[in-house]
Amino acid sequence: MRYVIERLLFSVLSLAVLLVLTFLLTHLSAADPAVVAAGPNAGAEKIAQLRAEMGLDKPLIVQFLIYCSEILRGDLGISWFTRQPIAQDLLQELPPSIELVVVAMLINLAISLPLGLLTARYANTRFDDAVRLLVLVGAGLPIFWLAILLQQFVGGQLQWLPIAGRLGFDNRDFAGPTGFALLDSLLAGRLDVFADALAHLVLPAFSLTLLFTAVGVRITRTAMISEFRKDYVVLARAKGAKNGRIMFRHVFPNGATPSLTVFGMQFGWMLGATVLVEEIFGRPGIGRYAVKAVTQSDIHAVVGVVLTVGVVFLLANLLADIALYLISPLKHRSPSTP
Amino acid sequence: MRKIEKLVPVCVAIASLMVAVPAMAAPTGTLVIADSETPENLDPANATNSTVDELLIGDYDTLVQFTAGETTVSPRLAKSWEVSADGLTYTFHLRDDVLFHDGTKFTADDVKFTFDRLVAAKGNVLNDTGPYDSAEVVDPTTVKLHLKSSFGPFLSAMSRIYIVNKKLVEPHMSEDNARTWLAVNEAGSGPYIVTSYKPTEAVDLKAFDKYWGGWSGKHVAEVVFRYITEPSTALSLLKSGEVQMAPKINAEDKVALQKDPAYTIDVGKAATPMFFDFNTQSKGLTGNKLFRQMLSMTFDRQLHLDQVLLGFGSIPDGPLPADWPGHVGGTESKFDLDAAKKLVDDNGWKGTTLTVRYLPAIAEEQQAVEQLQSNLAQIGITLKAEGMTFPAQAATLQKLETTSDINVIYSFPTFPDPHAILNTDYNSAFDGFKGGYNWANYANPAVDTLLNDAASSSDQAKRVDLYQQAQKLIGADYPAITASLPGFVVAMSSKVVGYKYNVAHHQTYNYMDIGLK
Repeated sequence: MRYVIERLLFSVLSLAVLLVLTFLLTHLSAADPAVVAAGPNAGAEKIAQLRAEMGLDKPLIVQFLIYCSEILRGDLGISWFTRQPIAQDLLQELPPSIELVVVAMLINLAISLPLGLLTARYANTRFDDAVRLLVLVGAGLPIFWLAILLQQFVGGQLQWLPIAGRLGFDNRDFAGPTGFALLDSLLAGRLDVFADALAHLVLPAFSLTLLFTAVGVRITRTAMISEFRKDYVVLARAKGAKNGRIMFRHVFPNGATPSLTVFGMQFGWMLGATVLVEEIFGRPGIGRYAVKAVTQSDIHAVVGVVLTVGVVFLLANLLADIALYLISPLKHRSPSTP
Repeated sequence: MRKIEKLVPVCVAIASLMVAVPAMAAPTGTLVIADSETPENLDPANATNSTVDELLIGDYDTLVQFTAGETTVSPRLAKSWEVSADGLTYTFHLRDDVLFHDGTKFTADDVKFTFDRLVAAKGNVLNDTGPYDSAEVVDPTTVKLHLKSSFGPFLSAMSRIYIVNKKLVEPHMSEDNARTWLAVNEAGSGPYIVTSYKPTEAVDLKAFDKYWGGWSGKHVAEVVFRYITEPSTALSLLKSGEVQMAPKINAEDKVALQKDPAYTIDVGKAATPMFFDFNTQSKGLTGNKLFRQMLSMTFDRQLHLDQVLLGFGSIPDGPLPADWPGHVGGTESKFDLDAAKKLVDDNGWKGTTLTVRYLPAIAEEQQAVEQLQSNLAQIGITLKAEGMTFPAQAATLQKLETTSDINVIYSFPTFPDPHAILNTDYNSAFDGFKGGYNWANYANPAVDTLLNDAASSSDQAKRVDLYQQAQKLIGADYPAITASLPGFVVAMSSKVVGYKYNVAHHQTYNYMDIGLK
């Protein structure tokens, strides 16, 4: 329990540092959102009025303190451009991105863990060499390039999967309570919409995950190889345990723990990388929202996005840490714990 | 009895026709437009932004409007109007058969409320209405708009004032002048209703069956804007038939589609010139008129049109499009690298380094900068290029010491009038230090006087003369190169009929006039 509390406190501290850095860096970019918000031919007087309304005429430290007090009240502010509460904007944009990352993560786990285990078991064989070569290629492919390639070939030429969007044209009015199309369609008993949403997710999720999967396979392989060399495996073999039992009952649970830490971090990284995929596949989401906010210097919206991604990143890591602790409490006991 | 029996089929035929005629006129089909930039919001106060304007132009009505393809306003909610002799009062006579989308009848109260709300909310659209003062309701179908001083293009500026439904909007005024509410809700009377607003994904508009203008001719029942950033994605969607209009695909792909009868490429005669603005207030070399004269000869407009725009546009002859009233040609230098080199050699400018700032997100700017870099290098001048976002670039313009030697900027006139380009880009009241788009920081009191006099006059012949004088003075000071006049190129399925470019609403689509074959 103490370990979990310590992790929570550390997460809050990390968020606070992230908040300060993002706020300062966004302000130091020296852009002037008031000029954009005022529109063409506004004149100096109107721009100055707008700057005052936006609080940009105050010293930076005052702006920061005001912003922090709003954050502590749970208010991320109003976007200067969408004119909506930023928290509300983010709540709308987050589900499609999370949905994309979850599917990408499932593909990642489904490939990384078994392939990592098998390449460790058959290390330095032709199979291992072939997988390592594939991993090397996968790790070197830029996400945006792969996304365009898959879209043009699988979506455009072969027409096996949709080219862009979140749902097909006939389902464009479908909406549900959670904002997650897969979940909402299941809740509504609409399997046709579920299949449609899933089809629209395949190419974006695969494009997003390939780089991360390549890393996942390598990390898992390395962890499993070191596990295969441990004494207990030798003992189990000496006792006559079968290979399958050794792999799945002993090596896999122990070897998967380092990978779990990486997968936790990958979840947050993927959320940050959704922007590339969302732009190419014309999907809504936090990435697209972030691009618009950055190009317009919508400072509070930018900070809101960074904080949200930060929270998701920390939550994913926290869950991974807690999972590790539950799997192996002794390994993760705090040094001060008796 | 027999006679009656004989008449039955005739009656049935007549009845069928009566039913069939409205059915034929009713809007049918769905038009999907793949646009690249997502909309900021739906607030009519923000209609200077084209991502907002393209949605509102169908959702709302204005008093007067530029029909696509035309350069003079025509009646809309106002059937007719008069201007007082002193140019200070515009009296509009309004239609009495207009319903807002919620069924409320439109009256002069809505017009006054719209203007009062825009003043309270400091709406951007008022930036272009000049010295607007107040609105006065005379009776339900008559409204007067008062100006503090005469303003020639006032009627043209009315084309961006979208009239809102007072009954719907007024309850939200106490919050923030209804800005939050109108950002995601509609209150219009236009031919289409925004029925779904998902700004990072798609916006749906459906035909309003009680639209006062009726639905004769070919129209679509539904318009969908899909926001697709990646040009190759938009092209794939156009080819797959999922979208019918794709304005933002690459120029090379537009050239290829021109050869395919399944597609139409429309080149709109846009009036959005791209400028290289020289910092005329600089204490460095761009503050020197002779140096600017040398620079003004270093950009090959023809090469840019051929190689970058692939022919989609025209060669500018000064800041105004050649067919606009008030245009005068020959005010800017022609491309002449030899003459420029002679000036460099004669004045010992070889080895000079200049900085240009631009928006790398806009391919045309990027390629124009590279072209200028190459030409200047040939005459011994190094051009350092710094790409940034628009808010960051605008911020650098606010102080002389942070203003670069050259800045790239487009002009986006909100109506086809010389004022909308010349005043924005050359009046010292709108220089970069004041947050304006006169990024040459050009300040010539004689030009300011000419521009201000032209703006305040309603005598069109006099205005033409004043604008011509102003252009000659501006040209003689070499504050900028008008580098290109790109066309607004839309790739569309050949099934689309009725599309026309609207010079008063750049980067919008006249979907209210469009039908599908």
